[in-house]
Amino acid sequence: MFNHSSRSIFSIAAGAVAALLALSLPAFADDDDAWPSLQKEIYGTRPIIENDGTVLIDAPERAEDPAVVPITIRVPPSVKGPLKSMALIIDKNPAPVAANITFGSAAGDGGGERRMATRVRIDTYSYVRAVIETEDGALHMVKTFVKASGGCSAPAPKDADSESAGLGKMQVRSFDPALPSTPLREAVIMIKHPNTNGMQMDPISRGYVPARFIKSIEVKRGDDLVFRAKTGISIAANPHFRFTYQNANDNALSVTAIDTEPTTFIGASGQVAAVSQ
Amino acid sequence: MCTPAQLQTIARPGEEETKTIARALMRSVSRRSVLAGALAFSVAPLVSRVPAFAAAGMDFAEVAPGVFVHQGRYELQSPQNRGDMANASFIVGDDAIAVIDTLGSAKVGADLLAGIRAITDKPIRYVINTHMHPDHVLGNGPFKADGTAFVGHHKLARGLAARAETYLASSKDMLGEDAFAGSEIMLPTLSVQDRTTLDLGGRELVLEAQSVAHTDNDLIVTDTKTGTIFLGDLLFSGHVPTLDGSLRGWLSLIDQLERHAPARVVPGHGPHAMQLPAALGDEKRYWSTVAGDVRRLIAEGQTLSEATKTAGQSERGKWAMFDQYHVRNVTAAFAELEWE
Repeated sequence: MFNHSSRSIFSIAAGAVAALLALSLPAFADDDDAWPSLQKEIYGTRPIIENDGTVLIDAPERAEDPAVVPITIRVPPSVKGPLKSMALIIDKNPAPVAANITFGSAAGDGGGERRMATRVRIDTYSYVRAVIETEDGALHMVKTFVKASGGCSAPAPKDADSESAGLGKMQVRSFDPALPSTPLREAVIMIKHPNTNGMQMDPISRGYVPARFIKSIEVKRGDDLVFRAKTGISIAANPHFRFTYQNANDNALSVTAIDTEPTTFIGASGQVAAVSQ
Repeated sequence: MCTPAQLQTIARPGEEETKTIARALMRSVSRRSVLAGALAFSVAPLVSRVPAFAAAGMDFAEVAPGVFVHQGRYELQSPQNRGDMANASFIVGDDAIAVIDTLGSAKVGADLLAGIRAITDKPIRYVINTHMHPDHVLGNGPFKADGTAFVGHHKLARGLAARAETYLASSKDMLGEDAFAGSEIMLPTLSVQDRTTLDLGGRELVLEAQSVAHTDNDLIVTDTKTGTIFLGDLLFSGHVPTLDGSLRGWLSLIDQLERHAPARVVPGHGPHAMQLPAALGDEKRYWSTVAGDVRRLIAEGQTLSEATKTAGQSERGKWAMFDQYHVRNVTAAFAELEWE
């Protein structure tokens, strides 16, 4: 899906974007200048349909804490069939692609609202956009503007000692739907990880803390893939994903997350009450 | 991968843009200062009839013999308040004095120093910072002198160093070039590991490093001679509390503090002096409400964004600066409590 090395987009904006960031100031706060080159970088010349209702995005208008900005991407029930992929892009962040997600057979193919929620850092006033690829290969996009500043260079965690002590701890929870026979259920994955992005100052050396962040997450229900996410430094510390997936008797999830070291972290949810069918 | 230097260049917002943000913030401040003023008026100081001193534009109340407190405004940093938005105190011993917190810019720190000098010419042996926040430390610079030690929690240096760049940049944005000029981050020269006693001549101050609460570097100072305890930002009154540490840690510290019965406590934001345990009541209610609401929402499987809309809203109208800090508090509380 990426016509460039996707690694460069996840870990840091390509030079063109950096230059554009510098040049785009002092434009109006809600300028849309970063997108054309980003779009070319990520999707090449593929057409993108905007605002056709296939995908919706929720984000606060003003982020009170720019280091923890909740974002929810939604695909309404009217959209049928499986989704191929979903990307979350923050135009003006140093690494704009926060996550690129590929869905598997256990992701569910409709019958309700499909959702993917996470928390991101937002470095300056920026558009935040979601792009999904439907079964037919078409790209659908929606964007929203978020007023935030300083999220990427936001400093050390509030309790530095306890954060580093719990690194890699994972919580995976699957929630029982209100109606047992509903086609989709919801789960949450939380990973204790500082997700350092190379922009925080090390107080001792006065240099920058080297980037160490979760770069991939794979979620399975039994042998079936729910999704595989490539994630970047725009994801907030203690990565958090809340998502819908196909409801079935076997609903326990297993999660494998790998950071840039690379260290592998694994987690699993318990089997929640079985579905009566 | 790109180098940290490149990251730094990219991460730093352009000057024009930061000015735009600062202007937007200033507008919101001036709109809200009306509310803040009204609320401030309704919060009566619990210790009345204190002698007042005004020198060099800096007002002090002598809340106990030799204990002087300046009360800051309930505002965000602005060119108008020049960072004078926290409480700052000084204590006079037989030989020397100690200053507790220095406000939020070099300029207002210099005024503080001039105000102190109008009252006493004894040497300033210690400048104590109760924690790392800019409104308490950015006025340190003018106090630099031979024989003056800068004192803080053993984690203050790390906390400040990690945030120095951010603090200076955001303070400059908020204060404007003029009010910000000369402000710097100074790391402590004397660290309190657990408990330290400082001697001012016939008067001892006991400094106790706390575990994570308002921040991870909160220090409590006790003037044993008058039974005055300086709580820094572990105590907010009138001004909504702000969380940059641990909600659970803070609530458990409040429980411990309630068992003390000092003659008076001095808050980091609030009246010149107050009395325990009443002084802690509002703050405890606020954090208990936030914690209770957030825990319930987490148990119900609700999300962070839903929590920011509902949690703790029963506290609206009871605090100055609620709109500026409450949602951020809920966000921090949620991110902490969801790991319970």
